[in-house]
Amino acid sequence: MKKKLLSVLLVAAMTVCMAACTNQADVNTDDSAAEESTDDAAAADDAAAAGEETASDESAAGSGIRVAVVYSGNLGDKSYNDSCNEGAMKAQEDFGVEIKSLEGTTAEEWEANFLACCEEGYDLVICSSSNFEEYMKEHCANYPDVKFAVIDTTVEGDNIQSISFAQNQGSFLAGAAAAMFTEMTDIEGVNEDAIIGWVGGMDIPVLHDFYVGYEQGAKYINPDITVLQSFAGTWNDPLKGKELALAQFDQGADIVMNVASGTGPGILEAAKDAGKYAIGVDLNQDADQPGHVLTSMVKRVDTACYLTIQSVVEGTFQGGTTSYLTVADGGVSLTDFAVMKEALGDQFPTEIEDKVAELEEMIISGEIVVDNYEGFGANQ
Amino acid sequence: MQFSNIINASLIYATFRASTPIIYAALCAAITQQANILNIGTEGIMLVGAFTAVTVSYLTGNWLLAILVSMIAGMAIALIMAVGHIKYKAEICAIGMGINMFALAITKYLLNSILGKSGSFSDPAIVGIPKVHIPFLDNVPVIGEIFNNWAITEWFVIILVIVITFLFYKTVWGLRLRAVGRFELAAQTAGINVNAMKYQAILISGLIGGLAGAHLSLGYSNLFTEGMTNNRGFMGVAAMYFGNAHPVFTAVGCLIFGFADSVGARVQAYGVPSQFVLMMPYIITVLVLAISMASKKAAEKKRKSSLTV
Repeated sequence: MKKKLLSVLLVAAMTVCMAACTNQADVNTDDSAAEESTDDAAAADDAAAAGEETASDESAAGSGIRVAVVYSGNLGDKSYNDSCNEGAMKAQEDFGVEIKSLEGTTAEEWEANFLACCEEGYDLVICSSSNFEEYMKEHCANYPDVKFAVIDTTVEGDNIQSISFAQNQGSFLAGAAAAMFTEMTDIEGVNEDAIIGWVGGMDIPVLHDFYVGYEQGAKYINPDITVLQSFAGTWNDPLKGKELALAQFDQGADIVMNVASGTGPGILEAAKDAGKYAIGVDLNQDADQPGHVLTSMVKRVDTACYLTIQSVVEGTFQGGTTSYLTVADGGVSLTDFAVMKEALGDQFPTEIEDKVAELEEMIISGEIVVDNYEGFGANQ
Repeated sequence: MQFSNIINASLIYATFRASTPIIYAALCAAITQQANILNIGTEGIMLVGAFTAVTVSYLTGNWLLAILVSMIAGMAIALIMAVGHIKYKAEICAIGMGINMFALAITKYLLNSILGKSGSFSDPAIVGIPKVHIPFLDNVPVIGEIFNNWAITEWFVIILVIVITFLFYKTVWGLRLRAVGRFELAAQTAGINVNAMKYQAILISGLIGGLAGAHLSLGYSNLFTEGMTNNRGFMGVAAMYFGNAHPVFTAVGCLIFGFADSVGARVQAYGVPSQFVLMMPYIITVLVLAISMASKKAAEKKRKSSLTV
């Protein structure tokens, strides 16, 4: 009897959790419930579905278009996911579409969240990263009425729009800036060794596309430079990122680029703790640890997300297409070094800024061709 | 790849830095284990502690108060486990897993409702645990590099290991606790209030778990991220098994984990495949547990054979 009571209480507790998280549509919770017991999961599913339906009725007043964005990671990373969310929020404001964001940190959650969106009958499902590639290949064809979009990779399908970035070009500029910066020994914390670092989140192809550009940019400036590379293996462990960055600082690097979403804040913090420097990614992270972030490689994920929603609202959505945003059309760029200039004052090496602008022109004009990692590039 | 870039003096501090949160977690698990209660909820207690510490530090600007409140928060979570397990006889593993899931959800929810952020929270207003700077060590080459600028909680964990060892093996309380863990009925017959001992063990474990969390978010870093414990609590439980709940051996187990992690971080930078390096902590966990179980079994066998002779 007591056990029965306890299980009833547990189900109740789970439902309360669900209710608490409805504004986040936390599919995670019923996903983990599914592992515990199928009965509980069914009950929780019902509760979640009921909650979602009422929500959609209320906000369907706008243009009536419902958009779901699935993330591989959490919002609040001040990086990739937040950038994507900014675009979605802007679209919500401009077009009155309904936006649902689903976060997840494990592969099981990603697939469950993705399928939940397909089943829920959203007009547009945006997969925010290449982590969803496999699930899209497997399931998109089964939902011909749903429009899909994927950012950061290309997935073929009649109802899928792909948007990817020339992150190799942006990283080229970042690598060049880092390679110049590591020679500026009169700046505090910069040592004599020509060593720079790079820490990534998960070891996935798109990150290698970043790295290829970064390394090429650094070697363009100084062919003898050493580039240290590490992966944290996770998008949401800042402490792991911090440890990896500190290890690279110990090994002589004085500037480390992070491409690590939620793992990234730890890398920037490591730069501050060690009195060294970092490079931000995706969003402008220059002000996160002022004076320790040289620049950020901004990737306009927000624009990609916004344009996709716009195309659906305006009826111009075309499945099976691929767009590729480069340095030339502002899809990727470096920040203007403003925060670093303020921190360093007269010490700020303006030649870095000039050289970056020059390299940018050369990339746009085609004078410099930045290599791609296998499977990336304009024609993919 | 240069060997001196991987094995050098700074590796010692890196190892200790990576181990400290796990040592706290392992001590949290060891105390209950002495009373024969497996504290799977370490992870959840830590997470709640980490969140509380950041929130209190941000709101009050006082790191000491932040630590104290997070310890109390850890104890409050542990109290749920204690009541569920001791009073209502619930299976401790189930409660522990429940606590872990609850901690993940409640911190996510409170992060949103109290601090208005989602995902992660960092702010210059968060006052971290100060680092101990020893001026005269600045000029000592190797020692200075290793021992200078440790966070207070990193020094404190050493004291805590010693204190808890003393508590377990040199005090009446420790003897009673271990008696309860070994053979409950005998302890009861000897006039020990078994339930009171169990409550005390779980609550103290909660205090240490809260401290573990506070160190994670204020000592090791200066931010809070959802699920920032990232299995460090479970690694602590594994190390506790390795050390057979003896604080010193447990801490050694944690240092092995920390060492594997730190060496991994250095080796990776030189092109060793990340997949292999990231696998290391798990391989080490399996190895460490296998070795400790094997030696335990051997000791058991020896004890039994000496009984028959």
